[in-house]
Amino acid sequence: MIRHSMTRDEILSLIPDLSPEALAALTEAGVIQPLLGEGEPRFREIDAARLQLAVELEEMFRLDPEALGLVLSLIDQLNGIRGEMRAVLGALAEEPPETRARLRRVIHETRLLRVRRE
Amino acid sequence: MADDPYAALGVSKTASDAEIKKAYRRIAKTDHPDLTDDPKAHERFKAASAAYDLLKDPARRARFDRGEIDAQGQERPQRRYYRDFSEAPDNPYRGQADYGDFSDVFSDLFGERGFRQGGFGGGARSFDMRGQDHRYTLEVDFMTAARGGTTRITLPDGNVLDVNIPAGTRDGQTIRLRGKGGAGMGNGQPGDALLAVTVREDPDWRREGDDVTTVLPISLDEAVLGGRVQAQTIDGPVMLTIPRGASSGQKLRLRGRGLAGSGGKRGDQHVELRIVMPPQVDDELARFIETWRKDHAYNPRAAGGKGR
Repeated sequence: MIRHSMTRDEILSLIPDLSPEALAALTEAGVIQPLLGEGEPRFREIDAARLQLAVELEEMFRLDPEALGLVLSLIDQLNGIRGEMRAVLGALAEEPPETRARLRRVIHETRLLRVRRE
Repeated sequence: MADDPYAALGVSKTASDAEIKKAYRRIAKTDHPDLTDDPKAHERFKAASAAYDLLKDPARRARFDRGEIDAQGQERPQRRYYRDFSEAPDNPYRGQADYGDFSDVFSDLFGERGFRQGGFGGGARSFDMRGQDHRYTLEVDFMTAARGGTTRITLPDGNVLDVNIPAGTRDGQTIRLRGKGGAGMGNGQPGDALLAVTVREDPDWRREGDDVTTVLPISLDEAVLGGRVQAQTIDGPVMLTIPRGASSGQKLRLRGRGLAGSGGKRGDQHVELRIVMPPQVDDELARFIETWRKDHAYNPRAAGGKGR
């Protein structure tokens, strides 16, 4: 219950480069999914960060909302896996050296050797 | 940021607005913290965006050039990049990762993230395929979540639905609306709409497990003499007996007035008393207390603050 959410006006003033039309288009395209609820849609911190990035990507690469949706989805997948990788590495760091050596051998066989063979 | 915004962008002092914009865009493309891992790139991006913020505004740029303002103080307030949110396990924008044969290993280690996308018993044998599940986040206020009720929502496709919120709904719980997701293919069933619930914070209600805590202001005379006062509960107002000699911070327990737990048993409500002085301490009260103090002085700190 420690979530803070913003109104449409609050998010527009937080991100000066975001026009009301662009916000509507990004919501329409499903790139941003504000919180559902009674009355006005509300936005979370993650929506604010995502919108800020969307505005910058749009500006840098001149992407339309659909292309933006694709890029953001790839970023979601990549960063999700990055977070999981970090968790796995963190867990491995706690393991004794023998465990890590054993895993290194398995990884070497399944990944490095196979990549080389192909 | 660096003292010289022109250097941060790698342009000359006579660069045109278009050149400045182009330089910023070039740095952003390679160094944006959401697009690269390199910490040095992050520094370059931070310096470049601060410099760009200053130089893109012709009036501010002119003032800087005349030496009226310096490049300091131009830094944006600490920004949280999308990376911080999208790496988190609860990123609502990320679908379920699928590691094929290793899915069970993955869920062993990380647990199941919500529901699987798509359906099971799908289109392996035919072209009938169940529609996609659509995920949304639904925000409800504390009372609706606690008491249960319905809330009317409009899905992005324009569909208006009355969603039933069960009593005792918690933050993070998912409500499944059968058949309200994407259309199926062939004879496939439509997918479901999955609503992840966030419960809006309410300053008057604190939750701890199945228990809730509220604060009940009482008057000086109620604290001294005790009495019956009205207190709010999830089920509406109840009369509560304030014991004679109540102190601020003292908690009264209302059994079974908390949130519905998993077994259907409800938690408790803790009512924390807070003595509120009258708006004005008038002469009569002051005189009375002065007289009273002469014979009845006491030291509430005698217990070393370990009391209530």
